Amino acid sequence: MTPCTSTRPSVYVEVIGMTTQPKFDLPQGTLDLLILRVVSLGPVHGYAIAQRIQMISKEALQIQQGSLYPALHRLENKNFLVAEWGPTETGREAKFYRLTAKGRTQLKTETESWGRLTEVVAMILQHPLGES
Amino acid sequence: MNWFQRLSKTGRMEKELDAELRFHFETQVADKIQAGLTEAEARRATRLEFGGLQQIKEDCRESRGTLWLVSIVQDLRFGARILAKSPGFSVTAIVVLALGIGVCTLAFSLYNIIALESIPVRDPATVVRIQRRSPENITPGLPYASIAYYRDNAKSLSAVMATMGSAPLVLNQDEQRVSATFVSSNYFSELGGTAATGRLFDAPRDDPASAPVCVLSFRLWQRKFDGDPSIVGRAIRLGGKPATVIGVASEAFANLGTDDPDLWLPLLQHSYFVEGSKPLADPKFDGLIAMWGRLAPGVSMPSAEQELLSLTNQLRKVYPTVIWDHEYILVTPGAHFFSFDGGPPLLPLISLLVFLILAIACANLGGLLMARGAGRQREIELRFSLGARKLRVFRQLLTENLLLGLLGSLAALPLSFGVLRLVLVYSNAPVWMSALPDWRVFLFTSAMGFVAALLFGLLPTMQMVRRKKNRSLWQQFVVCAQVGASCVLLILAGLLVRATLHTLYADPGFGYEQVLSIDPGMSEHGFAPAQAQAYLDLLQNRLRTVPGVTFVSIARVPPLVSSMVMITSIDVDGHRIMIYPNWVGPDFFQTMRIPLLRGRYFRAGEKDVVILGEALARKRWPNDDPIGKQWEKGKGVVVGVVGNTRAMELNNTDATEIYYPPATDDFPPMSVLVRAAGDPNTLTPTIKAIAGSIDTGLYPTITPLTVGFRKNVAQAEQITTIIGLLGGIAIFLAVVGLLGLISYAVSQRTKEIAIRLALGANRVEIFAAVLRRFAWPVLVGLIAGVAITAGLSQVLRRVLYGISGLDPISYVGAMVILIAILGAAALLPIRRALQLDIARTLHSE
Repeated sequence: MTPCTSTRPSVYVEVIGMTTQPKFDLPQGTLDLLILRVVSLGPVHGYAIAQRIQMISKEALQIQQGSLYPALHRLENKNFLVAEWGPTETGREAKFYRLTAKGRTQLKTETESWGRLTEVVAMILQHPLGES
Repeated sequence: MNWFQRLSKTGRMEKELDAELRFHFETQVADKIQAGLTEAEARRATRLEFGGLQQIKEDCRESRGTLWLVSIVQDLRFGARILAKSPGFSVTAIVVLALGIGVCTLAFSLYNIIALESIPVRDPATVVRIQRRSPENITPGLPYASIAYYRDNAKSLSAVMATMGSAPLVLNQDEQRVSATFVSSNYFSELGGTAATGRLFDAPRDDPASAPVCVLSFRLWQRKFDGDPSIVGRAIRLGGKPATVIGVASEAFANLGTDDPDLWLPLLQHSYFVEGSKPLADPKFDGLIAMWGRLAPGVSMPSAEQELLSLTNQLRKVYPTVIWDHEYILVTPGAHFFSFDGGPPLLPLISLLVFLILAIACANLGGLLMARGAGRQREIELRFSLGARKLRVFRQLLTENLLLGLLGSLAALPLSFGVLRLVLVYSNAPVWMSALPDWRVFLFTSAMGFVAALLFGLLPTMQMVRRKKNRSLWQQFVVCAQVGASCVLLILAGLLVRATLHTLYADPGFGYEQVLSIDPGMSEHGFAPAQAQAYLDLLQNRLRTVPGVTFVSIARVPPLVSSMVMITSIDVDGHRIMIYPNWVGPDFFQTMRIPLLRGRYFRAGEKDVVILGEALARKRWPNDDPIGKQWEKGKGVVVGVVGNTRAMELNNTDATEIYYPPATDDFPPMSVLVRAAGDPNTLTPTIKAIAGSIDTGLYPTITPLTVGFRKNVAQAEQITTIIGLLGGIAIFLAVVGLLGLISYAVSQRTKEIAIRLALGANRVEIFAAVLRRFAWPVLVGLIAGVAITAGLSQVLRRVLYGISGLDPISYVGAMVILIAILGAAALLPIRRALQLDIARTLHSE
């Protein structure tokens, strides 16, 4: 596994176990949506967000720090998230992110439009060609 | 936290960012240890996964949205350090910019004072100037009958004021006359003027029937009466007429328009002070009374024009001969010193020259910047290798340029302030005019600094960032532009200097040294033609008997001293010829020492004859003898041809004169010319005594023609001094810029020169090789400069006293000076290069 150098704004994600196809671009804004979703489950710090995305995706997505933190700060800047310092289970101080009301609305609309988009894309991709 | 809080708490944000990333790092390490790695391995792996920590931090800062401001502050600080590191360059650059921007600021400040700033009167926004226009006629004034009609009937004007200038009046028995303006009685109250002592005019009290009064200006009060407060109520004599001083206007009082008189008189008492005049009663009396108004609340200028137009149409029924066909009324803002509406195209010409200087300054600075860029290549290369982004470096360099532009603007302000103060003091400007820059000037100057920074910096900086090695095209363009612009200024300076010398030393075509002009001022005093003719005959006869007087004549337009010059034109074979007419007595040519070339002079009482200047005769009849020909069909037989003169306008070599014997209507405005055998000034008291004995109501103005001549030349000298200064600035800028450019060219070829020297090349050859690169752009620049000047000089023809706009001496002189400067500017850097240490240079890379 080689670390990739991150360059904004596109986000590179490594797909584990597929060495012939090491990276693919997460579409613009998708990372923000994933972060909002994870944070919506309750206050959480940056490390845990990365861990959870990795876990839930069954190791398929690994978020680089170079993409995660700028994204978190951007979302905080847009007032979708607020942050507070607090102790973790191990007793260390960490920065916990929490969804705001505005962030919740954003998550809802983004989730819906994502759903519609994948549906439409899938519809076209699965359409047996040449039948029309 | 909002944007501003994030900006102001940068320190805390930084600490938190660091702590957040460190937490992530440590947790990841801890997880890896738990998974079975040793601590050293875990740390190494995590560090690899993290990548560039600084890069992540920079990205986080950027997503905070305050980075740009923080980095601009950083850039400014860095730029200031860079500039402080090379004070020689910085000072040169700031001086160059201060000159370029300073000239612009000065020109704009003057324009601002004259045309943009409101004069300090009560509610200046509603004060308007009212003039009459028609498709055929332009005049600044209105007949008093119209003014009175508008005053009584216009609902869009809450008040109407009238002012009327006057010929200078004799105050008591003083030699020096005072200027006076006749004003309507509401003038002071409507403008919110206050009295320093006594009272000002008052509408019901100062009418034609009441005792004659006057108000002194603060300036005259101080100069003539030492600020004595007991002046109020004292009687003085103005033009021989007693009047009571009722007060002194305060020092800060501002007049409407460009008038700045020594005292004010009630317009209603005009015919008392100027005996026989009837400007108020005679509706045909026109052109001298200016009308001003105050807009009623809520009324705009166009709607006032609308109403006045309909009033004009009603007025035409009352005075059908006075109101022109298609006459309309023009309403313009009145509370400005001067408005450029409808004047000569002075404004674009001045703007062009001024911006040309800024462009030259910027082009030169651009060259200097490029020379410096070559030296800074290593620094910029280093920043790129350390991972700086192109845009970031570009922005930093641009910030540096803007800083220079700003510093240049700052230096330009005191420069322009100082010169403007001098100008205002020298020109006896009204007290309210202040050289202190106002917000408009500040805005303009900083904008100029910004524009200058873009002009001089954008291209060199772009090339610096692009790391292009070959910049010769831009370089050659700069040389071309700079040589061209310097060429224009130098040739213009040369032309104007030569023109002044020409007026000083060339023969004007007539003898003015021993001639006095006597203007009795009969038309202002309402003399009828017959009365005027009788007066002139008597005066001439009496003067001829005075010992020391050799010739006496009358002339409608006395040369050099007349306040106006008449011009007509005729078409000859489709060419329009401008002609200066004059109406003169038989002895005029001997009095003025204008040589008779053919034919004869006028005879006394002769009608329907003309005498032509030689140039006019030749233009009209190139091949024939003009004597006996008819000037106009059926009248004006040519009886004589005299030498050419530049009597009417010293500055016009095309001057073509025609002389007529006076017709009846020409007598009231006539002047008398007297040629003395010795010093003409000794005759003045005798002439005064004679004039006084003929008519006690007249106070003739006696002026030696030499005074008029000197006034004409002084004007030319002023223009020449200014242009000379501009030319000097252009030369200075050219030297700076060329020094920069050639240093740059040499520095780029240091290695080549060293190799050539090592191989034993001739130094002169190397010198020539470096210079050859500049030969073409210099040539193109010179040609363009000459072409532009040749075009411009046609506009300037009228001020080029007798010098052709294509005067070869000015053109060749300017080009020789420029080429000499180019050579001198090249010498310094090339000498340095030729003395370089060959071994060291070749080893350096």
